[in-house]
Amino acid sequence: MLSRIRHSLLSTQYSALSTQHSALSTHYLLVMKLKFLMTLFVLCIALLCFTPAAWAFCGFYVAKADTKLYNKASQVVIARDDKKTVLTMANDFQGEVKDFAMVVPVPTVLQKEQVIVGKPKIIERLDAFSAPRLVEYFDPDPCEQSYARESALPMPLPRPNLPSNRSARGGDLGVTVEARYSVGEYDILILGAKESGGLQTWLNRNGYKIPREASSLLKPYIRQKMKFFVAKVNLDKFEESGYQYLRPLQISYTSPKFMLPIRLGMMNALLEQDLIVYILSPQGQAEVTNYRTVKVPSDVNIPVFVKEEFADFYKSMFQTSYTKEDRKVAFLEYAWDMASCDPCSAEPLSNSELKDAGVFWGDKSNNVFITRLHVRYTRDKFPEDLIFQETSNKENFQGRYILQHSFTGEAKCAAGREYKRRLNKRFELEAQTLAKLTNWNIRDIRQKIKQKNQS
Amino acid sequence: MKWLAIYFKDPRDYQILFLCSFLILGIGARDWTLRPEVICVAIGTCLITQLLMSFFLSKESPIGKSLKSALITSLGLSLLLRVDHWTTMALAATCAIASKFVFKVGDKHFFNPANFGIITALVFTNDAWVSPGQWGEDWWYAIIFAGCGGMVLKRVGRWDTTAAFLGAYSLLEAVRNFWLEWTWDVFWHRLMSGSLLLFALFMVTDPRSIPNTAIGRVTWALCIAALTFILRNYFYLSTAVFWALFALAPTTVWFDTLFQGHSFKWKVESAEC
Repeated sequence: MLSRIRHSLLSTQYSALSTQHSALSTHYLLVMKLKFLMTLFVLCIALLCFTPAAWAFCGFYVAKADTKLYNKASQVVIARDDKKTVLTMANDFQGEVKDFAMVVPVPTVLQKEQVIVGKPKIIERLDAFSAPRLVEYFDPDPCEQSYARESALPMPLPRPNLPSNRSARGGDLGVTVEARYSVGEYDILILGAKESGGLQTWLNRNGYKIPREASSLLKPYIRQKMKFFVAKVNLDKFEESGYQYLRPLQISYTSPKFMLPIRLGMMNALLEQDLIVYILSPQGQAEVTNYRTVKVPSDVNIPVFVKEEFADFYKSMFQTSYTKEDRKVAFLEYAWDMASCDPCSAEPLSNSELKDAGVFWGDKSNNVFITRLHVRYTRDKFPEDLIFQETSNKENFQGRYILQHSFTGEAKCAAGREYKRRLNKRFELEAQTLAKLTNWNIRDIRQKIKQKNQS
Repeated sequence: MKWLAIYFKDPRDYQILFLCSFLILGIGARDWTLRPEVICVAIGTCLITQLLMSFFLSKESPIGKSLKSALITSLGLSLLLRVDHWTTMALAATCAIASKFVFKVGDKHFFNPANFGIITALVFTNDAWVSPGQWGEDWWYAIIFAGCGGMVLKRVGRWDTTAAFLGAYSLLEAVRNFWLEWTWDVFWHRLMSGSLLLFALFMVTDPRSIPNTAIGRVTWALCIAALTFILRNYFYLSTAVFWALFALAPTTVWFDTLFQGHSFKWKVESAEC
């Protein structure tokens, strides 16, 4: 079995909207890239809004009444060392740019130098690097095993790079404008508030439309003396910038709080929302402290036809695991030292890319551990905001799924006949594994395996 | 449960049984990635340290019996402490047992050994951590822990400590929840943490290291609950319970002076008869 194993890497990324496939060179097939889109839902904090409508990271979307932007995925990058946090929020807002606005609770008043506009590519790079992946191996000719030698395989080829401020008098409402500035195409306000009703009124008076229920959700944050980071797009600057999409916002602050406020993102109570959090730490794995952190199923052999439908496979498998865990855990999809990968689904990030992702621990920049957590949450199962902790756990983990291609040539020797005899048993085992992981119908799976073998 | 009583005459037997069960449950049903060699190191180091220190430093209880306590400590460490390298577990286990011989007044030690080992590892090494979310918040775990803990507490008579700790902590969290106007599912979610319940039922009730009198224990438990609440909510420490117990453990001596009573001795049921 060891001889001339060719393996190819099939990496995936998710994207809620699309699945891309890319095939690579001779020995290595980079197969799919499932871009699970998840534009993560938003970190939680957030939200909201201005003029006719607004939208929020992680939070509650406040879109036009007839605009259904809910049920999306959000992505957040958190670089953290000691008490300093650099938080990058992917902006997947898909409505009219003028309608974009967000409100994010933050632990401290953020000054202008603490807010920058991030590079959109950086989240794609992190996604590509940490995405669950397919790996493919090829059985050797069973009749040649006696001369078998392990072929020296080059490292898998890396996958190509994937691609006006309004009036703010709020004293009578108990709202204080702590800071106001522009960063890139965004106009930023940092608000302090004494009570949620006043904050809601202030936001409404200043052209931000926020849901009525927001008041009760804002109150706990106000009482914890948190501030509100409010961003909207300056259309003139946006047009000048020439960008077609809104770029991510990156904020940094020092606080012992290591959390993401998802409560604001759950205004739409029953809908499931997906959040992908990339946590970068010099220490080791990060985990959620107030919910269980569970590894996604990994390192399993599945039928080779899954290569053509990896996106569906992963989505079904994730949904099955999510249901099995009673919909109340955070899933670990990847945990690895960023200096390496095996197999690599994308080139490791360079030092400058890591810096773009928020890594600020200068001389320790070679020491970056990434944790990719995937949280699918609903209001009933996730009553509390997510609280994280860094740990010293350096254990590597990746969502990895194995395709083992059988030898299709003629096998005339005794070992070859024995090999062929055992194949059906192996296919059945793979079929059962797949059915268990995805809840797909076992008969359909067997049928597909049969078709694949015949073809 | 009569069949249990036939074989288990010492409350520590129950404790060992339950802690072993939790360990198996955690590995089997909660997919912890515990390495068997680290568990073996914890058990081996605790037992060896106990043997050596009993032999050289102690004239008290028969060595065989004190090994049960050491085994309980090692199981507690295995359940709670996560390490990257086995040497860290060895250090935690050694310090845990050594604390019983070093930090004592009269014949009573005042640090909970497992708690002392955990804090030592967190402070003096770079590869130790505690996972507060490892049990999740399932209600059936709460029932299992409460049932097993109740059986042990009934035998050692320390239910008052658990009740005072959980009661006070729940009350403080309820007041905070009310003040912040969170919905009440937030409150229940915080209290249903398996790790919190395990601590309340099995760690804060160690009869050998907590105050001797009921009034002393209740007051002491109230202090631990208050400190846990402060550390968790105002200093954002996910390991608040362990720090609170560690910080207040030495006050046991003061509580025992203030409220005088007999210190706890392990007894087997046949002896009582």
